[in-house]
Amino acid sequence: MSKYFSNIFEAVSTLLTGMGITWRHMMNIRKDNVTLQYPEERWPRPERDIGFDFDNYNVIRSRLQVDIDDCIGCMKCERACPVQCIKIITTKSGAKGEDLPDINHTGVTSNGTKKALIVSRFDIDMTECCYCNLCTYPCPEECIYMTGGPNSHKHPIDYEFSQYDRNELIYKFAKDVDEEKLSKYFPRKKEAKA
Amino acid sequence: MTVDQLINWLPFGTDWPVITFLTAVIICALPVFLFIAVYALVAIYGEVKISSFMADKVGPMGQGVGLHAGKWGLLQPVADALKLILKEDIIPSAADKKLFVMAPFVVFIGAFISFAALPFSQNTIIADMNIGIFYILAVGSLSVIGIILAGWSSNNKWSLYGGMRSVAQIVSYEIPAGLSIISIIMLTGTLSMQGINEFQQGTIWGILPNWIIFNNPFSFIAFFIFFISGVAECNRTPFDIPEAESELVAGAFTEYSGMRYAFFFLSEYAEMFVVSGVSVTAFLGGWNSPISGFFNSPGWGVFWFMGKTLSLVFVMIWFRWTFPRLRVDQLMSICWKVFLPFSLLNIFGVGIWILIAG
Repeated sequence: MSKYFSNIFEAVSTLLTGMGITWRHMMNIRKDNVTLQYPEERWPRPERDIGFDFDNYNVIRSRLQVDIDDCIGCMKCERACPVQCIKIITTKSGAKGEDLPDINHTGVTSNGTKKALIVSRFDIDMTECCYCNLCTYPCPEECIYMTGGPNSHKHPIDYEFSQYDRNELIYKFAKDVDEEKLSKYFPRKKEAKA
Repeated sequence: MTVDQLINWLPFGTDWPVITFLTAVIICALPVFLFIAVYALVAIYGEVKISSFMADKVGPMGQGVGLHAGKWGLLQPVADALKLILKEDIIPSAADKKLFVMAPFVVFIGAFISFAALPFSQNTIIADMNIGIFYILAVGSLSVIGIILAGWSSNNKWSLYGGMRSVAQIVSYEIPAGLSIISIIMLTGTLSMQGINEFQQGTIWGILPNWIIFNNPFSFIAFFIFFISGVAECNRTPFDIPEAESELVAGAFTEYSGMRYAFFFLSEYAEMFVVSGVSVTAFLGGWNSPISGFFNSPGWGVFWFMGKTLSLVFVMIWFRWTFPRLRVDQLMSICWKVFLPFSLLNIFGVGIWILIAG
């Protein structure tokens, strides 16, 4: 009989303890909240420490980045890509190494090479990219690189590429070159032949 | 405003009694239905938010661009309701079609017609019957039929399990609930809801409101027995073994989808309101203000009744997100070994109390 009543007492007291815990959590929600409203709020990026000197090893391949002012349009990266996710279209520049402010074209790369071609399209489809890093090795100007690697000083590490639309994952690096303007300055000889 | 006054007021008079009666009933029923729908939206929003807060989350939120759930997720219940309405209404080919279609409405009717006897304030009650509380206890049991119909007609072993469990549970818990109500009826000497409310006017020793829960120690215990039995009759966690999503998929509601499932949902929330409303009326003074003599007009009566009832609904939500589900044998042993002897003891105690103090 005493066990019956002690059981009831224990049940009531433990249930009240449990309700107290949930009540406390409900009341302290402003302090204890663990949810992050993701696209608007983000966790701070952790300090980089991959355990060894990352300048020598390009182990972090977070996304491809192109410094389009340094690109000479050699298409070596497009040829190296095993999945054909890089698309480049170039036009022959009239004067080698000349700045064309009309189309934001820089004539000389940061390595001092004079550009002979205008890159009118440089698209990388990151949905197809297999992150093999093969395109970065042949680049003579070192202008295409994986962020997070040895070139991370050029571009901050970024690891969140979520987009609302899949098309936004096709990165377009080329300067916004107007086809009309281009043809006005440098009429295409190929088209005339065809 | 009761349905009787409405019948007298309507211009058809006694020439067409059927039309007069139907008009009066529909005029009363429509606001109740709208009230249930709006209250269910509020309760669902409260449920998701409170459950999230208790788990250190924030629940549905809307920020930034795009289609979000509004500020603080206020549109979430609307979106839920829209989704349930727009979903396909699937009837399994092996189901007993007539019963399957009927079941959700039987469950809903049980919860819906209980509202007829709930006293919202001094003069806001649809039908102030002289057997009000008995009526609510009686029609509240209608939902059992609906749930066993749903379980049986789904032609699915888990649904049948859920339905049978639900019937065993609700029928068992009706006994302690009824016995606790008997101790109230002994005190008040009336079955009418307004009569019970009027009994609770005034104060005890000038301090405490003269609510039945404070009247004597036995009715204090009776309140908890009645309220917990009511939670069990609503099939709410921790007594949700008929649904038991980790054991029986969704119990009796497994095969339901779309609008019919929404009706089960709606009746669950409506039943929560009815159980809380009856607890408030029978034990917590109904529309009586906690400070006797102040704010006691009919307008404030609605406020007090709704405030007390919604706090009890909150307590039910609090229960749900705190306690784990009971096992079937634990459920039955609580009902028959604890609640039943205590409620029988309450009847004796209240009787002796009336003999000595009354």
